[in-house]
Amino acid sequence: MRVGFPGALLYYQYYPLCKTFFELLGAEVVTTPPTNREMVTAGSSMMVAETCLPVKVFMGHTIYLSDKCDYMFVPAVRCVEKGVYNCSKFLGLPDMTRAVVPECPPILELDVDVEKGKGNLYRGIYKLGSRLTHNPFKVKRAAEEAWRVHHQYVDYMCEWGQTPLEVMDEMFGGNGHRQVDKVEKFLSGDSIALIGHPYLLYDAYVSNRVILRLRKMGIRVATPEMVREVDLHSGTVAVDGGAYWSYGRDLVGAGGYYLRSDVDGVIGVMAFCCGPDSLMMDTVRRYAVRLKKPFMQLIVDEHTADAGLITRLEAFVDMIHRNKRR
Amino acid sequence: MKPVYLGVDVGSVTTKIVTLDEDDQLLFSTYLRTEGNPVVTIQHGLRELSNVSHEDIEVCGVGTTGSARYLAGVILGADIVKNEITSQAVGALHYIPDVHTIMEIGGQDSKIIIVRDGIVVDFGMNTVCAAGTGSFLDHQALRLNMDIKEFSSRSLLSNNPVRIAGRCTVFAESDMIHKQQMGHPVDDILHGLCQAMVRNYINNVGLGKEILPPVVFQGGVAFNQGILRAFKEELGVDVIVPPHHEVTGAIGVALLAHEEMEVTKGESKFNGFNVSMADYHTSSFECHGCSNRCEIAQISLDGKVLARWGGRCDKWERTDSEKEETKV
Repeated sequence: MRVGFPGALLYYQYYPLCKTFFELLGAEVVTTPPTNREMVTAGSSMMVAETCLPVKVFMGHTIYLSDKCDYMFVPAVRCVEKGVYNCSKFLGLPDMTRAVVPECPPILELDVDVEKGKGNLYRGIYKLGSRLTHNPFKVKRAAEEAWRVHHQYVDYMCEWGQTPLEVMDEMFGGNGHRQVDKVEKFLSGDSIALIGHPYLLYDAYVSNRVILRLRKMGIRVATPEMVREVDLHSGTVAVDGGAYWSYGRDLVGAGGYYLRSDVDGVIGVMAFCCGPDSLMMDTVRRYAVRLKKPFMQLIVDEHTADAGLITRLEAFVDMIHRNKRR
Repeated sequence: MKPVYLGVDVGSVTTKIVTLDEDDQLLFSTYLRTEGNPVVTIQHGLRELSNVSHEDIEVCGVGTTGSARYLAGVILGADIVKNEITSQAVGALHYIPDVHTIMEIGGQDSKIIIVRDGIVVDFGMNTVCAAGTGSFLDHQALRLNMDIKEFSSRSLLSNNPVRIAGRCTVFAESDMIHKQQMGHPVDDILHGLCQAMVRNYINNVGLGKEILPPVVFQGGVAFNQGILRAFKEELGVDVIVPPHHEVTGAIGVALLAHEEMEVTKGESKFNGFNVSMADYHTSSFECHGCSNRCEIAQISLDGKVLARWGGRCDKWERTDSEKEETKV
């Protein structure tokens, strides 16, 4: 039994969790290689033009994976904290996938909505597990172990200050998952925090290798995944007192945290036509102006020319260098 | 032999070449249209430089900037390759040391640079849309069958601008045609267009930035008196157009090259004036290494590849000469 988990959107947060869960239930978890042009073309040809790039990329990954697995796991992550909701694209992800990718194998769904209570979530997990096993205790053990691995994964990212791909590489030994770009000469000089959704920052195709490019300039790169939950919370409170969108919360929280920390500058990465981000990023920008901390916004879309991106990154790094030298 | 520092700014529309002497005084400057062929234009500019310099000059440092800065850097043997933002800021600070806001509008992009106490603290650039840049003005002048210089003087004659939507050039053009067919005089339409472009610039590029005087306006579009007037009216402060405003980027990078050479105290990597005669060959191909199918551009001299660009990975970034070095 092969369960497919597309390597986009939720991948960077929940791959270790899903991999552990399904493998303990005796399934093999298959995922996709890094995003490439073929996937983006395939995904965007199936969607209306207004959809954001990350969702198009997700559909591209799903299409790629369709003939390589028996089930496709597409959870609907609605709400992971009371009163904080996810973007509507995530709420309707299973239905959207069914509509957009007709060749997709049967979809394994899971509604994650803590507003409806824990019992609802547990029932959902048992229902999901029962597709693979008849033993409910096996499902319980698998879910508990998956939860433990997920926490370990999140802790490692904070502790080691590494990106999801690097930590997954350590945890699974490059087994069944992607290779990371290794840079020899990084970790010197100035530090810059990148804030943005994981599916933008760590997708080298979508973000145009922004992390690697900064590291090659000798910059230490920090990201929201390296910030502890408690700091995210205080960061959010500092910037605008609360959050409504869960990804927005990570972004605003990390922005608030890093702007008050000793990093030399903050770069916000957002996708063109992302509704929540256009509001969230601006609250962070305003906060940066108040604190007089260097802040720059990068918008990624299907435009493949990288000249504008390189110029902005170089100018931002130069600005920080020259500021420090005075 | 007089020591000079060479600054080259290869933009999308124009190429600027300057030389500065030891005291950072401008000795030579030229402003050429790139016309889609940066290599030939750079060679042309170099020939012009060697013809003009009567006394023998010795190039002690070379800096390149602009969107073709890496290409120019390879051809010339640059000591420093800098982005346009830093170069423009350094150039502006050279002439107006107390500047607080630098507005630069070029052929394809427009920038705003916020400076406090001689340090760049913030900057903004236009996004992929080229609305409100020099090439749009060029296009409109062409459509009205007038020289771009005439555009500049004609718009000054108007005291009664018409309202033109400036958010998008496609809309601006249809708005202009509409006003023209209604019988509005061309001068008023041009004045209105200048105001629309300035509004667009301040709302998009200058979004959320604190524009404090002294304000400096540079780049090729600063030649346009109509735009300058619109900026002054919109901002309500004096807008300074510094001397040599069309080549400030090149001056900036020449200054940076000078600074760099004083720090390293080494010899310049300048390839010499012979490069203006050399037969550079640029070509491109599609990489079949993975499904990304990147378009790789390369520049070669006598069959030897000097540099390659355009890949999403590092596969093509090593050149023939570097490979030889590692073999030894």
